[in-house]
Amino acid sequence: MEDRIFGIDLGTTNSLIAYSEGGTPRVITDPETGEALLPSVVSFPGPDEILVGAPARALAVEHSLETIASVKRFMGLGMEHVTVADRERYAFVDVAAGVVRFQIHGRTYTPPEISAHILKALKHRAETVLGEPVRRVVITVPAYFNDSQRQATRDAGRLAGLEVLRLVNEPTAASLAYGLDKRNQGHIAVYDLGGGTFDISILKLHEGIFEVLATNGDTRLGGDDMDRCVAAWLLEAAPAGMRRDPDVLGQATAAAEGAKIRLTDVEETAVAITVDGARVERPLTRVQFEALVLPIVERTLGPCRQALRDAGLTAADLDEVVLVGGSTRVPLVRRRVQEIFGRVPHTELNPEEVVALGAAVQAGVLSGGHRDMLLLDVVPLSLGIETVGGVMERIVERNTTIPVTARQMFTTFVDNQTAVDFHVLQGERELAKDNRSLARFKLRGIQPQPAGLPRIEVTFIIDANGILNVTAIDQRTGREQSVDVKPSYGLADEDVERMLEESFDHAEADVDARLLIEARNDADALLRATHKTLREASVTPAERDVIETAVRDLEAACDGTDHNRIRELTEALDKVTTPLAHRIMDASIQEALQSRRIEEVG
Amino acid sequence: MVTHPTGSVTARPDGPLVATHPSSCWQCNAETAPELFCSACDAIKPLPAQVDYFDVMGLPRRLALDEEALRARYYQLSRRLHPDRYQTSPERARAASLVNTAVLNRAYRTLRDPVERGLYWLTVHGESISRNNKQVPPELAELVFDIQEKLQELRAVRGAEAAADLRRDLEAEQGVLLTRRGALMQRLQDTFVAWDTGARPAEALLRELKQILSEIAYVRTLSRDMARELEH
Repeated sequence: MEDRIFGIDLGTTNSLIAYSEGGTPRVITDPETGEALLPSVVSFPGPDEILVGAPARALAVEHSLETIASVKRFMGLGMEHVTVADRERYAFVDVAAGVVRFQIHGRTYTPPEISAHILKALKHRAETVLGEPVRRVVITVPAYFNDSQRQATRDAGRLAGLEVLRLVNEPTAASLAYGLDKRNQGHIAVYDLGGGTFDISILKLHEGIFEVLATNGDTRLGGDDMDRCVAAWLLEAAPAGMRRDPDVLGQATAAAEGAKIRLTDVEETAVAITVDGARVERPLTRVQFEALVLPIVERTLGPCRQALRDAGLTAADLDEVVLVGGSTRVPLVRRRVQEIFGRVPHTELNPEEVVALGAAVQAGVLSGGHRDMLLLDVVPLSLGIETVGGVMERIVERNTTIPVTARQMFTTFVDNQTAVDFHVLQGERELAKDNRSLARFKLRGIQPQPAGLPRIEVTFIIDANGILNVTAIDQRTGREQSVDVKPSYGLADEDVERMLEESFDHAEADVDARLLIEARNDADALLRATHKTLREASVTPAERDVIETAVRDLEAACDGTDHNRIRELTEALDKVTTPLAHRIMDASIQEALQSRRIEEVG
Repeated sequence: MVTHPTGSVTARPDGPLVATHPSSCWQCNAETAPELFCSACDAIKPLPAQVDYFDVMGLPRRLALDEEALRARYYQLSRRLHPDRYQTSPERARAASLVNTAVLNRAYRTLRDPVERGLYWLTVHGESISRNNKQVPPELAELVFDIQEKLQELRAVRGAEAAADLRRDLEAEQGVLLTRRGALMQRLQDTFVAWDTGARPAEALLRELKQILSEIAYVRTLSRDMARELEH
C-alpha cells in the first residue's frame, strides 16, 4: 500500500499535523503533553543544540537572539524587507539584499531551514504516534502568499525530507473541513486571521466543488501585531532606556499575548513584567485593549471589501461566514466581521485546528478518497513581466483559477543577439518597481540572426500549488529553449541540494544534540532531588560519602557533551539514592499516619 | 553575447487557431484528433497549445450561451481533468492533466464573461481591439470632456471644501457611465443573438461587435480611473 499522505498547517505561531482515516480528519497530539499545537519556535541554545516547540519557546527570553519565533513572516522575503523592529529582535547576516539569513552561533540559517526543523518535529510526532513513516504531505500556506513565499515553503518541506505533494491555501483548507459534514451550497466567506497573516477568501460551494471566486489579504498582519501593540503600551510604563532591551521586549510581548487571551473571557486584567528587578504593571480593560488593536482589525476590512468586489458579490449574497485562526477568538474581531458581512460567523470548529483538518481532507482527496470533493483555487496576485519603461505588463490576472498558462513571444533587439532577459513580477501596481520581483529569466543559446527575427515563445504555467514554471520554445526550430532562472528571494535548486547534504552531515549531530539535552534535563532533575534529600533525610556518613561522590561525577559529566556518560552516571546516582528515597517515603507515610491518629484521638 | 533589457513582441492568451493535426496517444499510440481523452483508450491526452474554447467545453459555437450550462459543464470537466485526480497516475497523465486543466480554466474564464467572449470572437475572426482603449467614442465625447475637467479640478483642490461638490458631481456621472455600460451590455447580447440566428451578414456584425466592445473597454477604463481618484 502507498504511504498515507499527511496534512500540515505550518503556522506563524503554532503548527499542526493531521491525517485522514476513514474519511474523517484528525489532528495528531503530542504523545507526552497531549497538545495538538506545536509552537512554531526553533531555538539554538548551543552551537549544536536545536530545540523546537514549547522547550524552544521557554528559551525565548534567555536566548533571545538564538530563538526564532514566527519565522513564517520571513519566508520568501529579501533582506530589504526586514524591518527595523526585526533587526532589533534578531541577528541577520549583514547584507543589503538577497534572501533573508539569520546569524546564529556563527552559522547562517535561511527561513526555510528554520521551518524545516518545525516540519521535522511534526514528522517525528506523527511517526511516534502512528508508528508509520511520514514521507508525503500537503502543507497549507496563506492564500495571499506570493510565488517566492510558496517556493520557500516547498523548500522547507524538501529540507525536512518530505515530499510536498501540494500547497493548499489556508482559508480554502478550512472551507474543506467545514464543508465536510455540512454539505453546504452557496457562497461563503472565510476570514482567516492567524498569528502573522491575514486572508479573506470568497468561495462558491456546489455539490462538492469548492470554487474560490476571489481572495485577498496581508501576509504581514496578525495576532503578533496585536501583541506588539499591547507590549508597546505596557512599556510606556517602563524606564525609557529599557524599552528596546530584547529581554524586556520578549517579556512584554509574552505578557501582552497572555492579556489578549484572557480578555476574550474577562473584562479586565493586569499586564506585568519585571524590568531590572522592578515590577512594571498596568491594568488593561477589554475596552482599552480594543482601542489599542482597532487599527489592526480595521486593516483587515479593506481586503474583505476588495475580495467581495472581485467576486462580483455584495455582503448580502453571502450564505455563510467562517472564522479561522487563533486571532478570531478576539471578541472585537468577531464583532467587526459580523458587521461587515452582516452575518453571524461560524465558529463550530476549533479555529486553530480547522486548517490542519482541511489539509488532511485534501490529503485524502489526493490519495483518491473523497471522490465527490474538488478544490478549484486561484492565484492571489497578478503575474506579469517588466516591459520597456519599467511598466508591468500583466499576463495572468489575480483571482484566475489555477492551474493556468499564459504565453508570450520574445525576440532580439540587436543583430546576432544570443540571449534575452526578462523579469517576472507579481502584484497589482502599474510600475514594475512597486511589485514584488519573483525572478529574472535568461533565454540562452538563441541562433545569431538579424534583430527581431528570432521568435521565442515562453509559456508561463502556474500550477495547482500557485507556483510558476516557465518553459520556452524556439518557434523557428520547434526546439525547447534553455531558460536560466534566478529567483529574487528564493533558494536556487543547488542551494536546496547543498543544504540537504549539509543537513545529512548534521543529522547525526542533530540527534546527538537532542539526546544530550534530554540526558542533561533528567540529570538535573535527579541532582535537585538528591540535594533536597541530603538536606532532609538522616544519612549515615558512609552513605553521604558515596552519594556525594556520585553527585560530583554526574555534575562533571553534565559539563561535557557525552550523553551516554551522563545517562550512565544518572543511573548510578539513582541507584545509590534509591534506599534513601524509600526511607524518606516511609518516614513521610509514618508521619502522615501519625498525624491522622492524633486527629482521630483528638 | 548581447543581451537587452526586457521586451516582448506580443501578448496573447492561448490562441484561437484550431489545431487539427492528429496526435498519437501516449498510452495506446492511437492517432486521433486533439481531444481531452483518447477516444481509443480513454487516457487523458494533452491538448495542443491552440484550441477552440467552444470545442474544449464541448459546446456549440453560440455566442448567446447559457451561462449556467457553461458552469455545469466546467465543473463536470474539472472533476475529470483536475491535477488532484491524477496525483497517483503516471507522469504522462499528470502532465496532461496540468495542461488540459490550464486550457479548460482559460476557456471557462473567457467564455463566461460576455465581454471576454466577444473579444475572443473577434480574434477567432482575425480582428482585435486595444483593451486599453483611449479613443473617445463620439457619443460619449461631451460626458468624457466634462468628467476629465472635473477630475482635474478635483486633483487641484484635493482636501479643500470645494472637493465635496466635485465629488458629488463625479459620483453622479459615475452613475451615468454605469447606465451607459448596462445599455452597451444589452446591445452586446443583441448582437450575439443576431450572430447565432444569422439575422444579419457576418461582416456587419463583426464591425458592430468591434464598436460595442471598444466602447465598453473605454467606459470600463474611465470608470476605473474615476473610482481610483474618488478613493483618494
